[in-house]
Amino acid sequence: MKSKPWLGWVMFGVTMLAVFMLGLLVNSVMERRTEALFVNKTLAPVGEFESKNEVWGANYPREFQTYYETADTTFASKYGGGKMRDMLHDDPRMVVLWAGYAFSKDYNQGRGHFYALEDIYNTLRTGAPKGPQDGPQPSSCWVCKSPDVPRMMDKLGIDEFYKQTWAALGPEIVNPIGCADCHDSKTMNLKITRPALIEAYKEQGKDITKATHNEMRSLVCAQCHAEYYFDKKSVEGAARVKFPWKNGMTVENMEKYYDDIEFSDFTHALSKAPILKAQHPDYEIHQMGIHGQRGVSCADCHMPYKSEGGQKFTDHKIQSPLNNVANSCQVCHREEEKKLVANVNERQDKIHQIRIELEDQLVKAHLEAKLAWDKGATDAQMKDVLKLIRQAQWRWDFTAASHGGSFHAPLETARVITNGLNKAAEARIGLSKILASLGQTGPIQYPDISTKEKAQKFIGLDMTKEKANKAEFKKTVLPKWLEEAKKK
Amino acid sequence: MIKILNYLLPPRKWVPFVIMATGIGMGLFAYLLYVSNAVSYLSDDPKTCVNCHVMTPFYATWQHSSHARVTTCNDCHVPHNNALNKYFFKAKDGIYHATVFTWRAEPQVIHIKEAGTDVVQKNCQRCHGDLNSNVSTLGVTLETKQHGEGKLCWDCHREVPHGKVNSLSSVPNAQVPLLESPVPAWLQKQTDSIAAAKKENTNQTK
Repeated sequence: MKSKPWLGWVMFGVTMLAVFMLGLLVNSVMERRTEALFVNKTLAPVGEFESKNEVWGANYPREFQTYYETADTTFASKYGGGKMRDMLHDDPRMVVLWAGYAFSKDYNQGRGHFYALEDIYNTLRTGAPKGPQDGPQPSSCWVCKSPDVPRMMDKLGIDEFYKQTWAALGPEIVNPIGCADCHDSKTMNLKITRPALIEAYKEQGKDITKATHNEMRSLVCAQCHAEYYFDKKSVEGAARVKFPWKNGMTVENMEKYYDDIEFSDFTHALSKAPILKAQHPDYEIHQMGIHGQRGVSCADCHMPYKSEGGQKFTDHKIQSPLNNVANSCQVCHREEEKKLVANVNERQDKIHQIRIELEDQLVKAHLEAKLAWDKGATDAQMKDVLKLIRQAQWRWDFTAASHGGSFHAPLETARVITNGLNKAAEARIGLSKILASLGQTGPIQYPDISTKEKAQKFIGLDMTKEKANKAEFKKTVLPKWLEEAKKK
Repeated sequence: MIKILNYLLPPRKWVPFVIMATGIGMGLFAYLLYVSNAVSYLSDDPKTCVNCHVMTPFYATWQHSSHARVTTCNDCHVPHNNALNKYFFKAKDGIYHATVFTWRAEPQVIHIKEAGTDVVQKNCQRCHGDLNSNVSTLGVTLETKQHGEGKLCWDCHREVPHGKVNSLSSVPNAQVPLLESPVPAWLQKQTDSIAAAKKENTNQTK
């Protein structure tokens, strides 16, 4: 080295060149990583809590256009679909089962997300409020209807939001279910926007932020398509949407939760039983079926890929897979479309059959309980019977309210119904003993409830008045809401 | 031997500088491994493949297919006859991909090469042996197909699992797991709070 000093300089140069090249390489890797961030960049920036679907639609025209196709109501499957169905007309037994609760006035099969607001304006269940502090329902009824909800929750605070009435927020909540309900405005990643699901996860000791992308493709749906109740105890003056998932998601676990807090949605007008009204435990039941257990997400069947001009994107026309068998079912099942639909219908037919049997038993149980009260039965005598009626009706409603339940998890649904049939039978045996002790020995006269109108008249509803009030609301209050919203 | 080593070792007074230069080089190399997510390439996690965003269409189409429930990228795209072969193929493919990606030579629409075709065809048969017996494709390999004897699986099953055309423009809004910022969370937090403090200061002076 001493004799050749130039060798030192060569080594120096080589090292410098190597480090320089390495630096270039690192820089190139960094650059290409950054590139990925710009592949999917929004053209027109979407603000946080942006609730107008049209603003998002400027960036994602295909998703937006297919979303608005949920306005299509032409498809009816055997038991569901996007078509408006009057469920009480199809099955007047429900009127008697919900006597004393607003569901006996009006209950329609849900249409597409596009109609979320229109349908909640129209339903008799929301009443006909005349002013902001009027009407039977709290703001909680808005929670699943619009991306304006996360916006207002952010603006007012969650508890303050829940303290409002349904009518008070009428002029604010004007965009139907849309982009901001499920997506992050910056990254477009799936996002949970409703506090109830986050709280339910926390209660179970789970962290929802750890959910995988595939789980999120069901969880964004679970924000609304789940069993819930209005919790009026934890915050003064607020009706918070809450999931009864603390003990688990089966019908028994949720029942235990409700029993523990002595909750009931209403007291039955005929039997005086404290009734639980199931909402729509679609997510829970799906988890108990084979598709859920194998990790198939809601979006896999209800929002499959769609191809258009060589471009693939998620079809945001959220609908019955029976109207899109080729892209949903047939991605996995290579059978004929006709056969697949027949398979689905078979499961639904069979479940429907036993569900109606349970309904018949329950209707009779309610009527017999009313007879017992009329004949002077005591609270002590009726206590056990009423509990059985509550249990049987909870099991019936759990399966009836989840429209897809008979397909999502036929076995679990059948188990629950069978369980309910047994409870109803026990209740009726108890009732026959009480009635015998009160001197009722001959056959019992059951009223004619063969149509919706007859059934509603029997339970004492004044439907002409209800409908007139609603028409008045739609003529005077509703246009004002929409007018006010337009100004904003 | 010792003579060569002596010859290569720098004179004593240069030692500190040489150590530093080597350190810088190795540090930079470690940083390269870190930002390029190098360790992930040893795993079978499909997220590894979207390290390069040109793989987005493949990740997204796989994720929306029935294959996503049971397979990963590596189940189809690397050989499974023995571990040695698997990693040899992975390394070979990986270096090729890295080179193309670094030189920005990737095509708009990516087509599978011959070696890959062979591997995928074998993997179709590896899993779907029972199904294959019905249509007697058990003897079909890339070679027989090239001799005009039979077709490859995806010549007919063209939508399985990626579909016919795959380019960045074919899945414009695909949501795939993006690489997170290479800045670790604790440092991000520090720098964020410094930036916030600075902002506050300027606001106050206004």
